[in-house]
Parts: sequence; C-alpha cells; structure tokens
Amino acid sequence: MANIAAKQSPVKASRLFGDYLIMLIAPCVLSLWYYGGRALWVILLSVVSAVLTDGIVSAVLGKPFKIKDLSNIFIGAAIAVMMPAGVPFYVPVSAAVFAVAAVKVPFGGATRAPFVPAAAGFAFASVCFKEQVFDFAYSAEGKLLGEVSLASLLSQGNSVHLKTSTVFDIITGNVAGPMGTGCGILMLVCCTYLFVRRRKALLATAGFIGACALFALFAPRANASALTSLVLELSSGSLLFAAVFLVTDHATLPKNNINRVIYGAVCGFFCMFMRSVGTYEETVCFAVLLANGLRPVLDSAVRGFNAVTAKRKGAKA
Amino acid sequence: MSERTPSFKDVFIKGAVIYNPVLIQLVGLCPVVAASTTLKGAVMLSAAMCAELIVTCVIASALLKKIPRWIRVALYLLIGLALICPALWYIETQTLVNLSLGMKIYLPLIAINSVTAVHCEQVAVKNNVKLAFYDAAAVSIGASAVFILVGILRELLGSSSLGGIHLDLPIAFKGMLLPFGCLVILGFLAAGLKAFLAWAYPETENESDPVERQRKTPSAEENVTEVELFDEFWNVSEEPEEVSMDVSIPEPEPEKEKKPEDIRLETAADIDEFFKSLGIDLNEKGDKR
Repeated sequence: MANIAAKQSPVKASRLFGDYLIMLIAPCVLSLWYYGGRALWVILLSVVSAVLTDGIVSAVLGKPFKIKDLSNIFIGAAIAVMMPAGVPFYVPVSAAVFAVAAVKVPFGGATRAPFVPAAAGFAFASVCFKEQVFDFAYSAEGKLLGEVSLASLLSQGNSVHLKTSTVFDIITGNVAGPMGTGCGILMLVCCTYLFVRRRKALLATAGFIGACALFALFAPRANASALTSLVLELSSGSLLFAAVFLVTDHATLPKNNINRVIYGAVCGFFCMFMRSVGTYEETVCFAVLLANGLRPVLDSAVRGFNAVTAKRKGAKA
Repeated sequence: MSERTPSFKDVFIKGAVIYNPVLIQLVGLCPVVAASTTLKGAVMLSAAMCAELIVTCVIASALLKKIPRWIRVALYLLIGLALICPALWYIETQTLVNLSLGMKIYLPLIAINSVTAVHCEQVAVKNNVKLAFYDAAAVSIGASAVFILVGILRELLGSSSLGGIHLDLPIAFKGMLLPFGCLVILGFLAAGLKAFLAWAYPETENESDPVERQRKTPSAEENVTEVELFDEFWNVSEEPEEVSMDVSIPEPEPEKEKKPEDIRLETAADIDEFFKSLGIDLNEKGDKR
C-alpha cells in the first residue's frame, strides 16, 4: 500500500501543507475565540510534540529532518483542533507522537504514508483516552446545549426541533464539541480556498458529504425531520473538518476522478454507519483510516470495471 | 552421506532470532494478540506453548514420519489437545484458577496454533528427533521472549502495573490492552529486530524476507514460496534422500591414453616428459660426449 501511495505525482510537501496550514488558521482562530488561552496551549503543545518527535525519530533512524515541509505542524494543529479545549495536555501530545512516530515516519513521510497521520493520531487518542477526548464540559457556559454535544444528542435518539436561532448557533460552532471544527461556515470558506488551489481533491469531499447527507436523510438517528437530521449530522463532531482536511489528503487520495468520488462516498458511509451502531461519538477518523485501507481495493475494482466496459464496447464495435 | 547435525547454537540463532516465529514469520499471532495483556498471562501462554510445541515436535519426529500428510496435520492438533487439556484441568482445579479463567478460550487454543503445525510439518517430520527438539526449543524460546516482552509492555502501558503490582504511572494507554495496541507493539518490535539483524547478521539481511527474495528473482520460474524458503533454510527436501546400501569398493577408472594431438611441447619440462615417455632420458650423463 505504501508503494501505491508513493506512486502519487511528485508534489512539494511544503506547498501542499502550506495550503492546509493557511486553511487551518480559521479553525485555530475559532478555537481561540471560543476557548482562549487554553486552546492556544493545546495547539502549541501538540505542534511542538509532533515536530520534536519527527526530529528525534529522524535522528535515531539517521534520516534527514525536514522541518520545512510543514507536515508536522499540520499534523499537530489538526489533531489539536479536533480535541475538546479542556482535554489534559498529555492527550494531544500522545496523539501527535503516535501520528508522527507510528504512521508518518515509518512509511517515508507525510506525502507517502498510506494512512492519514492526523486521523490515526486522533483515533489513537479516542481509543486510549475515550473519557477525556469526549468530555466537553470545559467552558460550556453559554453554549447551545451546555455540556451536551450534538453527537451525544443524536446518539440518544431524542426528539429535536430546530429554530432559526439554534440553527445559527449550530452552524457557527457555538455548541459543545471539538474546539475548532464545529463552525460550518468556516469549513465552507476552507472549501472555497481548496477549490481554488486543488479543485480535484474536492471530488472526494463531495462524495463524502453526499454519502453522509444521504445517510442522514434516509436513516435519521434523532426523532426529527429529515432536514433537521441532515443539519445536525453534518454539523456534529469533526465531520466537515475531516471532509476538508483529512479526506483530501494527497498521499491517500486516489488519482482517478471517479475513484475519488467513490473513495469519499465509502468514507462517508463508514462514518455514518459507525455513528449509528458504534460506541464512539466521533467516528470520522476511524472511517478515514478504513477507507485508506480499502483504497487499493477500490482502485483495482474501478480499474477492472473500466477494463470490462472497454472490452464490451470493443466487442460491440 | 548424512550431513552434520547443526549445533543448538546455530539452530537457536536461526529459529529464535533470524526466523523468529512471531516477529519475522508472523505465525502464532492470535494468542499473543488476544491473551498477552498481562505479564502473568504472557508467562502462562509461553509455558503452555513451550510444553506443547516441544512435545508435539518430538513425537512427530519420532513416530509420524511415515504417516500420510493429511492425517499428520490432524494428529499434531490431537497431540496438542491431549497435552493441553489435562494441564488446563489441573490448573483450573488445583492452582492458578484466576489466571487461566482470565485467559478464557485462548489458552486451549494454543494447542492448535499455527507455529506447531508449521514446525512439525516443515522441520520435525523431515529431520531426526534431536534436530526436531532443538528446533522446537529454539522456536519456543523465541516466541516466548516476544510473548513476555509484549505482555510487559502492554501491562505497563495499558494498566500502569507490572505482574499485578500497581506502579502509579501518570498515564495509562488503555488502547494497548486492545488487539490494536498489541499489533502496534509487534510492529515496532519487528522493526527493531530487523534493524538488529541488519547490524548483527548483515549476511542474513532480506534472507528471511520472502518479498525481498522474490524481488531479487525476476523470472517466474525462480520465484520461491515461503515454504520453499523455509525448506531451504533447514536443508530439507520434500522427497527423502535414497541411501545406497552398496558397500563394495568401486573399481578405479582406467587412465585415458593421451592422444598425440593432446601432447603439447611448449616448455622444456614438456619436452623432457615427452622423451621420458619414449624411454629416452635427455639428462643422462652418457649424453655428454
């Protein structure tokens, strides 16, 4: 799988992750806006841990340490903004260390890793520190539902009726949850930037959000209208953040346009399915990792389908 | 001609380190992933595996060589179960009740693990009892070392304790108690072992890696399977060598007569040799006239 990832077109890592970091400014500012200095500390510690881990592991393995490729900074910051602001500092630090030491470096860097390092880091934190990662009690005064996150609300299957004011709170991220990923408007802005810079990557995003939307419309978890279910599902947790930042990861994204849409759709299906039947509030990182693992299978399946179609067309002609 | 039986040291280095069953051959992963969450569990698993593997391999080497293969494999499992079940019954009724209960189904499953089947079939039935014992002991030690190391790491990281004694570590990674944690640890250990092998035994680098071996052999005919590689390591062939019972001394082959065109007179020694063959000695004193 690493070989397949390595066959991606050569791209300058600093340029790629520079774009992501520019987009990531918005969630970081949002975190600081809602949670203040605490959010800054979480982000800083996570980034420093990722950079230091890469430096140490590279020194041990005798590989050159490239701080200028910016991937470590992106990994650290992405993990941090998916965490709640009140998380103990060792949680983002552990997640960043795991992402770099176990996922990024062993496979030859962030542009070659067969799994998205940030998703792997967050998944590691979710498994190891479940209570801390899904505890949104910090600075919950004034939030729409207090300490209760949207994902938690949906998992309980309560009756929900949305008013205009509550919808505004939801799409601006004024709900308990991950500190930088809840604002749908900011994610749309990031999507616009991505459209300008790497528009083909958005095919995966479209497939992902489309699959999630369909799932939310036809299999709502809350006792609510289909539209309410759609708004709540898309706004809860880090779903939109993952659609923009994790699903579009260069190393794991298929090259073919159709494959990208299918890859995104598979990822979205896994995410919503695990939300429905799983025990974790936030499943998008697990879904991304599963889709990463299935990517070579998807690629070969689409190639086989294309070959069969071409053969039939040739036979008819 | 029978080859010299390798020493235990040779077999140990190859069986436990270079071809470590868990980290290099990736067999026997189920018990280590499922049951080695604590040091006690890992020790128990190692003891069961050592006893079962050594006894089964020795019995296979001594008694099962002439039995058809399709029956042999089932017999390995039966022998393993015959050993493990009474031992489990004894443990559960007499001594370590909690420990064996904590390991649930995974301890009886050690009787049918792939390490036993692989080593009985690939080594034990194709070699003498001594070599089968050496191999089983080496493999058991190699696997047990990994079991115990993984058990220590998982208990330390996942439960902040060691051997049941709480150590009050500041952070406990609960994920390490899950199979995912074990696989991550095994991945790092395998990488460490490969690095050690590259440093300590550079001549064996990529020898134990079937993928690398297949990369080196471009043609399809030269590609070898993992089983063939393993056979190559143990110098065993699928068909046993036929030993000739003829003890008569073979007659020496008659020397070929040299034809005139074979004789070359290029040096002085060649000329002397040629004349000597004709009965003329050019160095005789009588030649001095």
